[in-house]
Amino acid sequence: MTALDVEATGVETAHSAGKTRTRSRRRPRWGTWIALAVLVLFAFLPLYWLVVTSLTPNTQAFSYPPRLFPTQITFDNFATIFRTPAIFRYLQNSVIVSVITAVLSVAISMYMGYAFSKFRFRGRKSLMYFVLSSQMFPQALLLVTLYVVFAQFHLLNTYFALILSFTTFTLPLCVWMLKGFFDALPDDLIEAAKIDGAGPWRTFHSVILPLAAPGLVAAGLFAFVRGWNDFMFALTLAGPDKQTLPPGLVNMFITESSTAWPALMAASLLVSVPVSVAFIALQRFLVGGVTAGAVKG
Amino acid sequence: MTTTDLRPRTQPTRPPTEQDGGRGKRLGEKSFVFLLLLPGLVLLLAVVLYPLVRSLISAFFKESLLYPGTTFVGFANIMDVLKDDFGQLFSQTLIFTVGSTVLSFLLGMALALVLNQRFRGRTVLRGAFLIPWLVPGVVVSFLWMWIFDANYGVLNGVLQELHIIDHPIAWLFNTGTARGALIIAKSWNSFPWMMVMILAGLQTVPGELHEAAAMDGAGTIRRFFTVTWPHISGVAGLVVLLELIWNFQHFDTIFVLTGGGPAGTTQTFATQVYDTAFKGYDLGHAGALGLLWMVLLMVLVVVYVTFSERGEKKEKAR
Repeated sequence: MTALDVEATGVETAHSAGKTRTRSRRRPRWGTWIALAVLVLFAFLPLYWLVVTSLTPNTQAFSYPPRLFPTQITFDNFATIFRTPAIFRYLQNSVIVSVITAVLSVAISMYMGYAFSKFRFRGRKSLMYFVLSSQMFPQALLLVTLYVVFAQFHLLNTYFALILSFTTFTLPLCVWMLKGFFDALPDDLIEAAKIDGAGPWRTFHSVILPLAAPGLVAAGLFAFVRGWNDFMFALTLAGPDKQTLPPGLVNMFITESSTAWPALMAASLLVSVPVSVAFIALQRFLVGGVTAGAVKG
Repeated sequence: MTTTDLRPRTQPTRPPTEQDGGRGKRLGEKSFVFLLLLPGLVLLLAVVLYPLVRSLISAFFKESLLYPGTTFVGFANIMDVLKDDFGQLFSQTLIFTVGSTVLSFLLGMALALVLNQRFRGRTVLRGAFLIPWLVPGVVVSFLWMWIFDANYGVLNGVLQELHIIDHPIAWLFNTGTARGALIIAKSWNSFPWMMVMILAGLQTVPGELHEAAAMDGAGTIRRFFTVTWPHISGVAGLVVLLELIWNFQHFDTIFVLTGGGPAGTTQTFATQVYDTAFKGYDLGHAGALGLLWMVLLMVLVVVYVTFSERGEKKEKAR
């Protein structure tokens, strides 16, 4: 099952819990605690520094040696970025592009995932490998030609260019995840719907889809994150008007001479928090989805 | 009314093969399946396959972003690239790819083993450790750029405080340290994913086996290799391969953190193709570079497909 919600499933209690516990009681493992401490430092010190810098006044942030525990706390850096009108435009673009990408990706990949899961047809295997391997083609290379093609059709600097590319790039993962969810639904459901006289479309939309809702949410969030986090495509295909937050932040804060680190850290925090919160809140569905796709291969 | 042909999964069917397709089906189902697949396939063909093929073809032409028109030049672009910097680029990409993959795998594996044990608060930790993975690539770059900063960076501060170094180091501008800095930043970003996947694998290890091995006197390390590893080797191999493929084409962190510098020592295929096309406007050379890059990447993908097909067979045999 999933890595994170295993407590709830009882799988672990069935075969390992009690025994693991007695085993670890027998011998305290110093190695384990040391390893955990090192990993906690490596994972969380940078995050701590991100938060602390965003709350540090400029005068203290640019002093050396840096203070691990700043003596002054300020919210000026957040005020500064909210006084910048451009940031709202980037934010708006990010939301528009990511939401539409999520909806489109789910809408397209659910049909594909269903076809791969419940039907056997000529070329099924080859098509599945094509879909899977298409996420491995170098995107920097695709970008070059997409730029030329979009330029020909006057689609540069439009939401369309970004949404079209993000939707396509999330398809492999979404199809794979949703196929996993459909695989888990018993075929009898379809059989029963058929006996009740429902056609294939009706069966899919009113019987199968509601049951796969957690999978749809998971796939949608992954697609959303893809759009939200992308840098390279947004930087290249979207002009200043349609640019999303990641390239927007680079343009705003990284200059040749100096970088406004505290403000940039504050902005970074604002970009990272929504996605992280959503993800951790929904991790139950998500981690299952990812691992189902990959562990089953 | 047989518009859907369903084979319950439990039924001991032969593996679905090509022959399954046409066998006694109505036109209705075929067109239903076709319609299900159509939108996705159209997108993949238009946005992945067509650009890919087109950029590979441009390897054989003199083509620029600045002016229209193309001239066929045969293998000239490819020869140019091979003569220029291909070897260096390849080794730099390889260093970044292998370095990031190995480091994040080791960290992810260690974390998975720790978090697979029973202790208070591990569920919370499992969630919290995901955060570095959720942070957008650009933010990962900003954060580490600030940590590695030559003048005010916290890394220099801490190391000086601990008397490990005696003067600040410009980590990102020093040819000796820039690659290592990149690998650390990228591994920080990707080890939580490794942790999740390996943890999922670890859940399949039956506790009794450990118990039995412990009774036979096997130590922790011995038990890891005889009991744990056989259960997770499949997942471990898969995540390493996937991570290799992804790192081989990684762009964001490198582009923002070092921009390929200092003196081009962190330039990889991804950043070089980007620079050649969008800063040098030379589509022919970018295509040639991409063609060679693709050939190398295909080797990894073929390994991946073979690997996962073997896994599927094993699954079926069970």
